[in-house]
Amino acid sequence: MKQSLFWLGVGLAFVVLMLVLVPGSGRPSDFSLFLGRFHPLVVHLPIGILVVAVLLEALSRMPSLRGRYDTGILALLYIGVWSSILAVVAGLYLAQGGGYAAGQLAWHKRMGVLVVLFASLAYLYKAWPGLSERWLRHWERRVYGIAMGVMLLAVTLTGHFGGVLTHGSDYLSRYLPDELRQMAGLPKKADIGRLQLENPAETTVYAALIAPILESRCIACHGPDAQRGGLRLDTPGFIMEGGDDGPPIIAGEAHESALIHRIWLPVSSDEKMPPLESPQLSIAEAELLRWWIDAGASFEELLPEVEWSPVTQTIVDHMGLGEIRTGIFALDTVPPDSMDIVQLAGLGLAVTPLAENEPYLQVRCVHPETCTDADGLQEALRPLARNIAWLDLGRSSVGDDLVGGIADLPHVTRLHLQQTSVTDAGLAYLGDLEFLEYLNLYGTAVTDSGLVHLETLPALRSIYLWQTGVTDEGIRRLQTAIPDLYINTGLSLTPVEPDTTGS
Amino acid sequence: MNLAKEARDAYLGHVTRRHFLKSAGAGLGALAFASLGAGSAVLPDVRSPRGPHFAPRARRVIFLHMAGGPSPLELFDYKPELARLHGQDCPESLLEGKRFAFIRGIPKMLGPQATFQQHGESGAWISNHMPHLGQVADKIAFLKAMHTDEFNHAPAQLLVHSGSPRLGRPSMGSWVTYGLGTENENLPAFVVLLSGGAAPDAGASVYGSGFLPTVYQGVQCRTKGDPVLFLGDPDGVPRSLRRRSIDAINAINRQQHEEVGDPEILTRIAQYEMAFRMQTSVPDAMEIRREPAYIHEMYGTEPGETAFSNNCLLARRLVERGVRFVQLFHWGWDSHGAGESEALNGGFLERCQETDRPVAALLKDLEQRGLLEETLVIWGGEFGRTPMLENRSGSDNPFVGRDHHSDVYTMWMAGGGIKGGITHGETDEIGYSAVSGRVHVHDLQATILHVLGFDHERLTYPFQGRDFRLTDVHGHVVREVLA
Repeated sequence: MKQSLFWLGVGLAFVVLMLVLVPGSGRPSDFSLFLGRFHPLVVHLPIGILVVAVLLEALSRMPSLRGRYDTGILALLYIGVWSSILAVVAGLYLAQGGGYAAGQLAWHKRMGVLVVLFASLAYLYKAWPGLSERWLRHWERRVYGIAMGVMLLAVTLTGHFGGVLTHGSDYLSRYLPDELRQMAGLPKKADIGRLQLENPAETTVYAALIAPILESRCIACHGPDAQRGGLRLDTPGFIMEGGDDGPPIIAGEAHESALIHRIWLPVSSDEKMPPLESPQLSIAEAELLRWWIDAGASFEELLPEVEWSPVTQTIVDHMGLGEIRTGIFALDTVPPDSMDIVQLAGLGLAVTPLAENEPYLQVRCVHPETCTDADGLQEALRPLARNIAWLDLGRSSVGDDLVGGIADLPHVTRLHLQQTSVTDAGLAYLGDLEFLEYLNLYGTAVTDSGLVHLETLPALRSIYLWQTGVTDEGIRRLQTAIPDLYINTGLSLTPVEPDTTGS
Repeated sequence: MNLAKEARDAYLGHVTRRHFLKSAGAGLGALAFASLGAGSAVLPDVRSPRGPHFAPRARRVIFLHMAGGPSPLELFDYKPELARLHGQDCPESLLEGKRFAFIRGIPKMLGPQATFQQHGESGAWISNHMPHLGQVADKIAFLKAMHTDEFNHAPAQLLVHSGSPRLGRPSMGSWVTYGLGTENENLPAFVVLLSGGAAPDAGASVYGSGFLPTVYQGVQCRTKGDPVLFLGDPDGVPRSLRRRSIDAINAINRQQHEEVGDPEILTRIAQYEMAFRMQTSVPDAMEIRREPAYIHEMYGTEPGETAFSNNCLLARRLVERGVRFVQLFHWGWDSHGAGESEALNGGFLERCQETDRPVAALLKDLEQRGLLEETLVIWGGEFGRTPMLENRSGSDNPFVGRDHHSDVYTMWMAGGGIKGGITHGETDEIGYSAVSGRVHVHDLQATILHVLGFDHERLTYPFQGRDFRLTDVHGHVVREVLA
């Protein structure tokens, strides 16, 4: 008995020693990884053995069976303690290989050590019922019971965290029926792996697609908890800063980027990332990373701005990103009334839907000579005010008074007023058109002082000012106010004498 | 007498049981069709189009078809390596399994008959034969690895314009008009302008409406003399009388339609109405003399002549007035080298001179009017040309030329919905095969429809028991060129 107590002490001391000595990070030797691989082999022994010990103890609480299994329980606890010691030590070596989520790993480790401690405690009380001081005797049975209980709990939790580490956190719930999933607050099965974005129009590609890949595949070893190779991949700043081997990403050049190299290396290579034993990137994830780096590795580019390649388009389609609606298409606009359309068309305007299933209209003055009734036009536009997106009144006799009516069309995105009698006074009405992207004013009498009213247009992307009274100074001012505005003031073709010589 | 008999038979066929039984075989089907039609006897009206599937990026199209197959190797596809190989025999490995329209035996390689320079911020390669186009290089997306299935003019042109190398399909302009309708009911929605001294090889089918109602077919306008023949009222026929006679004709036609249910009668009615309106609108739209001198200077027009430059200016005037699809054909790019008019050092240079300036002017003029970002401009022929010299006679020939080549050629797009200043697709060192970014004619068509707001797989028309579409069962949108 004394001997077993001695060896138990040796075992516990060994665990403590290993906890201190086995380094948590750094490149492990092949031999420690070899030892680590025994962890899954031995880890199931203590689970089964200790659970059986608890079961037998529970059985022996029945009066008819009291004391009958004591010898067996004692033996089971002893074997259980030793097998859990082996499992813990092998586990420490396995963890060195890396690639495990740090938080879950820490809990797995803690719980594993708890198993060793409480299994030992239970063994001690089972082996020497009179061990305690007198005043403790009273509690003895209870301490033993508590030790068994805590041990069972620790075994369960250790096993659970171990399962999460190897199979992922959704392994058990993956095929849970949808009704139960909903009760448990989980997304529907069909939604697994699909993007759930609050506001896709204002989410960056990095946040929506790239960060989650890094998070699930890289951050365990290259994040706040561990920085292998001095590298962190959890923030844009750290990513660009790089690690001991320099920056992992060269914007625009995926094929020169270490991150991409490491992903595609054969598994036999020591440089392969993530390492062999860790969950690997899917082909789709690898392609998204490559595409993102080739496209300039922008951390600011928003989803709607991005140009998908055919492959990435397919990938994000399947992730349920779908069409990102922006501008007027993100609004909840009531579809137009057909009688209102008929009325407007009656004034000589062509009114057609912008697209099927959209509430917006394109309106064009077909016969410039007939679009003369400003009051009637304004009247007919009013009921459709929220539906008109494209308004083409070019070459018509529209004047400033009608432009005042256009100011009440909040969703206009394209506005043609070229070759009309619009002046600076008319432009004053347009400053609030939040969605106006295109404004054609060529061949009108507008001048610099009219352009000032347009400086507040947040969506304006192109403006046409050929044959107007606008000067270079006015253009410069407008360009300063809206830097990415395309301003056209007319183009001339420089005649070139054809060079007809061959090569 | 024949007409009267035909009319009586048609009428009897409609009302009598005997005629019904007589033609029971085919008649039953016809009857079923007629009853289907009766429920939906709507005027095939360009004013009530199907509408785009999603918000379009371009509202109009100008398609500059360079009929005959311009050589990319002398225009855009710069191949210095080919110059090095000039005069050498073509390796047999390049000829295995290939068929050419004219080349037989082992031809010699022919180096580029041009010098090249990069233009614009995009650094696009454009040859010395297109000096003006360089000024708008940054507006253009070059498709350098286009390919087609056909190596003869007529089927290749049909493929480009109707999606099939055989006759009978509607042309692209017809599909677009069918989908988008017109913006100006006083003008045809689809106008065709020819130059270069010859009609396209495939004839009017390249702008025909196929099985779509004929209201969607392209209307060819002449650029010399009356734009549309017989459009003017004869002497002594005032406009009011013309109106009354058209009303009478249309009333009779409507009655006929009620009896026989042929939708083509509705098209005929629409055409009469259109012709009446065109009597005033077309002369106005087609009168380029009203343009200021600097515009004529810009395009290099030749008023009163049939010229490609005039047609470019007309194209701008037409899209400005809401014409949906303007189709230009300029014949004469078939540079075989068999004679001066069709040699790379002959007619080809003339074609370049005739088109370079007006095309560049068209892009600039559309741009300054704010029309370019709403108008899709497409340039290209029906196929490319071989990097090998075609020497049909086998003897000494002062003229050089290349044979038809369907594997790779260059087209370009600019304007609405298209990213400017890019090149998509790449050919090998001698411009013989595509290396990357291949685009088939059907892909181009899918892309054109996409820019106009259509899913090319959903723009369909039922005919002979199935839904037809421009891209047949093919076509992928070339997303790389989209803005």
